[in-house]
Amino acid sequence: MENENREQMKLDDAARVRVLSPGMMVAKRFLRNRLAITGIVIIICMFLFAFIGAIITPYTESQVFYRTEQMRKDYAGAVALDEFQMFTAEGAEVPSDIGSKMLIGIGKQEYVFETRDGSLIGLAKLSDSTYMIYGAERIKDAKLMMSEECKAAAAAGRNWFESSGKTYLVEGEGIRGSLYATTELAIASKVSVTAYDASTAFSFDFYKGALTAMSLGETSFAADGGNYTIEQEGEGSAMVHTADGANYAYVSNMNINSFIGGVFLTPDFKELLIENISSGSESFEYTDEEGVTDTYMISEKNGQYTVKRYQTTRVIDTYASPSKEHPLGTDANGMDMLTRLMYGGRISLLIGFVVVAIELFLGVLFGGVAGFFGGWVDTLLMRFVDVIYCIPSMPLYLILGSIMDYYKVSPTVRIYMLCVVIGLIGWVGIARIVRGQILSLREQEFMTAAEATGISVSRRIFKHLVPNVIPQLVVFASMEVGGVILTESTLSFLGLGIKYPAASWGSILNAVNDSYVMTNYLFVWIPAGFMMLFTVLAFNFIGDGLRDAFDPKMKR
Amino acid sequence: MTKFVIKRLMLSVVILFFVSMIIYGIMRCMPTSYVEQQAMTLSQKPGAKSYQEWLDQLNAAYGLDSGVVQGYFTWASQAVRGEFGDSWYFNQPVVAKFSSVIWYSFALAVLAFILEIAVAIPAGIAAAKKQYSVTDYTITVIALIGISLPSFFFATILKYVFAIKLGWFDLYGIVGRNHLQLSTVEQILDMAYHMVLPVITLTVVGIGSLMRYTRTNMLEVLNSDYIRTARAKGVSERRVVNHHAFRNTLIPIVTLLGGTLPGLFSGAMITETLFQIPGIGYTSYQCVIQGDIPFVMFYMLFSAVLILSGNLIADILYAVVDPRVRVN
Repeated sequence: MENENREQMKLDDAARVRVLSPGMMVAKRFLRNRLAITGIVIIICMFLFAFIGAIITPYTESQVFYRTEQMRKDYAGAVALDEFQMFTAEGAEVPSDIGSKMLIGIGKQEYVFETRDGSLIGLAKLSDSTYMIYGAERIKDAKLMMSEECKAAAAAGRNWFESSGKTYLVEGEGIRGSLYATTELAIASKVSVTAYDASTAFSFDFYKGALTAMSLGETSFAADGGNYTIEQEGEGSAMVHTADGANYAYVSNMNINSFIGGVFLTPDFKELLIENISSGSESFEYTDEEGVTDTYMISEKNGQYTVKRYQTTRVIDTYASPSKEHPLGTDANGMDMLTRLMYGGRISLLIGFVVVAIELFLGVLFGGVAGFFGGWVDTLLMRFVDVIYCIPSMPLYLILGSIMDYYKVSPTVRIYMLCVVIGLIGWVGIARIVRGQILSLREQEFMTAAEATGISVSRRIFKHLVPNVIPQLVVFASMEVGGVILTESTLSFLGLGIKYPAASWGSILNAVNDSYVMTNYLFVWIPAGFMMLFTVLAFNFIGDGLRDAFDPKMKR
Repeated sequence: MTKFVIKRLMLSVVILFFVSMIIYGIMRCMPTSYVEQQAMTLSQKPGAKSYQEWLDQLNAAYGLDSGVVQGYFTWASQAVRGEFGDSWYFNQPVVAKFSSVIWYSFALAVLAFILEIAVAIPAGIAAAKKQYSVTDYTITVIALIGISLPSFFFATILKYVFAIKLGWFDLYGIVGRNHLQLSTVEQILDMAYHMVLPVITLTVVGIGSLMRYTRTNMLEVLNSDYIRTARAKGVSERRVVNHHAFRNTLIPIVTLLGGTLPGLFSGAMITETLFQIPGIGYTSYQCVIQGDIPFVMFYMLFSAVLILSGNLIADILYAVVDPRVRVN
């Protein structure tokens, strides 16, 4: 291109004889280097991606995403009642061993017995599955014994009768029989009573009325000053209506419980369930109060019926495949991969630059002083550099990482600690370069001139000598940024660098330690790895381009 | 020359003294509770020594119950005699464990080293011969990719492609499932087979710097006056490159490679861990993670000695090559 222009120019053309400053020459040579330009473009893209991208992205660094999933979950359990349920009267105390004594008594058909605490208990048999429990007191009343009510009861095979509003128990017959006066304690029955409305609480009076009526086959009863009607619905279950015909309670010989806390099973549901259990069907549909129709499945095991239904549950969206919402999917914690990559890039790039800044500061300081003064100062400082250089860095980082683990250092502090430690170990390379350059530079004439003008030592070192080392420093620093990013990501990869919830490219790649993730979720580790590769590569391209640009001798 | 070597040796001993002091200092910086907790955890493992026994041994070996300076000398005097105590994690003497694993690392490193030399030096020379040609750019880019490639990422890709997708190699380990049933020769072949992927990883990751070093030095030599003279004399280009230039390039390369020789023993922590090769790198990684202080201390010291001896060899080789160094 230049050759074409040259032909049209005159010999004294200003553009032709223009002399570029050394800096411009370097810039020109640098910009001509295709690899270096590629590197610059990649770095700019990475910065935009990590810093601007993280602002634009709708998600935050550690935002967890959820998905809903259809799961068959246990909804309710039903079991046929084969034990007596006690409905205790208000204020009455039932002896603790009443259950076992009652079973023994029923088995022997001895309805009056003594419990462990010495109280006399009597049972009045209403039906095979329903008994009234009384506290009994033996009385002698021949007149009552011979009364019509007593005889009627004996004729009907009952062991109890009512006389002038009181209930009496009879044991035996005639003169040899015993008579007991009673106080109500409880009613025992092999049924459960569910209120139609969750807020309804039943009184003992109601239980007694309903259960008595049911077992005696009556269709109505009175309790608490109200009248109720009973509608039998098949075997062992019945619906209790109030006087105005509204559903009030549901009585059944199945005990049905919800498996989910806070869910009230309506009598409708129970009714439907019992119907289906008795008809032997395996699933049914039910529309709840909110009008949602679900399919319920019934399974039976040892007399226990379990009702299941499909339910939507919220689960963390782990390892979701790339989609519109998550272009790179989500990771093991249900976080958006793309966003994690952006924030990880921030940390990786920041650590790279901060560490190199620390290294430059220490390296220039030590190298400059050592190179300028020479002699014993140089020897001492360089031996110090040798010592630092000999410390095995990787094991040291790992040890510090595991000590930080032990102290449960917060992720943010870890980042700072990592910067400081890598910086404190890594500056020796820069110190050597600076010292070597300055050793040769200080013998040159311009330094003699500087000394002759009488300017201070620190100005001579840092104003006159160090700027001459800048080319080497810039080259070294740009490659070192890449190196530090590699070190940091290696540490994070081993799980001892950046920790969750903070992200870095290395810690994202850490997921491949699980070979299942490595095999099946490529989108989790491939992008992070290539981001890292491209970034480090770009820094090396730039460093390489700068070296060529600064060192024209290497040119043809 | 002898004087120079002796001087450097003495210097190395002094540096080692300070490095070991720093390493000891780091160990002393560990919180006591950490040390005790580690000892406690380890003592609860089946077949392990009792907690008190560990602590007593620790105190005896590291002088934890005395002052820092005195403790250092307690430890150093034992370390000089080669007594590093028992590894907590492996429950056997550190030196015994070390000598049982080091050869895996060495084999791995030597194979990678030979491959690197075989590929990097010809490639570097080819790049330098035609500077700024397509070959040069390609080799430069490959070298830079090698330098920039995180070893764990490359190893993972290799594992994914060759172990999982193609199924040519095992994912982990140094021996196959039926290793014990094989004859001695087959056993060695089995191990070599399992080392293929790790060696490729190490070679690719390490090849870049040697390639670039060769290229830079070759360029320098090719630009020097005696090459121009040779060309002016009419020596054929092949002879110029292969005789005049290559031999002079070899000097700095051999010096560099000499300095890396001790590093062959240092183990590749990341690669060995990823492929679970039971070398010194993987072993020490496990020990760091498990808080095995005796082994980690030993490994740190061992690495420091390796780095120092690498520097020493490089220095001496420089002095051999360039007599001016000896004077300074």
